[in-house]
Amino acid sequence: MAHQAHSFHMVDPSPWPLFGAIAALLTTSGLTMWFHLNSPYLLMLGLLTTTLVMLQWWRDVVREGTFQGHHTPMVQKGLRYGMILFITSEVFFFLGFFWAFFHSSLTPTPELGGQWPPTGIKPLNPLEVPLLNTAVLLASGITVTWAHHSITEANRKQAIHALTMTILLGLYFTALQTMEYHETPFSIADSVYGSTFFIATGFHGLHVIIGSSFLLICLLRLIKYHFTPNHHFGFEAAAWYWHFVDVIWLFLYMTIYWWGS
Amino acid sequence: MAALGKVSRLLLGAAAPRSLPGRSMSAAAHEGGGARLWKMLTFVVALPGVAVCMLNCYLKGQQEHERPEFIPYSHLRIRTKRFPWGDGVKTLFHNPHVNALPTGYED
Repeated sequence: MAHQAHSFHMVDPSPWPLFGAIAALLTTSGLTMWFHLNSPYLLMLGLLTTTLVMLQWWRDVVREGTFQGHHTPMVQKGLRYGMILFITSEVFFFLGFFWAFFHSSLTPTPELGGQWPPTGIKPLNPLEVPLLNTAVLLASGITVTWAHHSITEANRKQAIHALTMTILLGLYFTALQTMEYHETPFSIADSVYGSTFFIATGFHGLHVIIGSSFLLICLLRLIKYHFTPNHHFGFEAAAWYWHFVDVIWLFLYMTIYWWGS
Repeated sequence: MAALGKVSRLLLGAAAPRSLPGRSMSAAAHEGGGARLWKMLTFVVALPGVAVCMLNCYLKGQQEHERPEFIPYSHLRIRTKRFPWGDGVKTLFHNPHVNALPTGYED
């Protein structure tokens, strides 16, 4: 029984922002303990608390929107801006690593043999597994669009099928990349080539895992009837994030895998 | 230059209905049944594309890959600081068959 004369959402007091900040501190100082003092326990505690905060905070957002009806069109607009701004910040995050790659590869130093790829590095063939990875992510972009249209057209069965296929493709990409990581003849410690390659593709892989997890949550919510044909912003946010992950891969493929080989 | 303007107007025009939250999909007559289009694209373009690439990888994987000889270049196999796992010398995805340690291949 709301008694507000406006369409915005005044959120109830919540412990998650503070606990999230504490979790971030535990994680970062945990990394330091692990790297410099050989102890992983603080990091494990930090990752655990981060996961718990994420699960509970987002569970609360679902409760506020889906079950309590607080997500009016105005509130939804704010959530849209928020997701767009977040994805924009992630674009800048990756921009830095692309900058590092081009800085190192456009003028290769004498220490690398004055060439790119450096002497002694045999790059991966872009027409083998990297091409398959590209096809997998592009296909998943098509299936997630199919899922979106199915939701809009109230076709439950097709939406579930399409979203499931999207997630499976995402998992397939992760499996392929993990296998590739195990099979590459060069490692992260192999000059700035290895550094730029594994940092850029590694963070991308992490984002694929995050995106797949987001889509999986959407699948569970879809099955539980949380979405309506006109109101399904959680799904849209996941789809936007997924397309972003796909676009980052395309840039990685064209620059590091193809041009850089 | 004129073509560039045409292309960007086309992209923005195409992007606009898609970015609206589902409204145009049910409203505009020619967009009705959008799910059918994307379902068709999934089974005719997307999945066959993946299958072709899978076949390509399988066939290329049949060929034997020769392992390059070990030359102790100083810009490769850098170990400024030990890794915080195992013996600190192997990278996270170390594969003894294809990755050499700073002292050479293990096998």
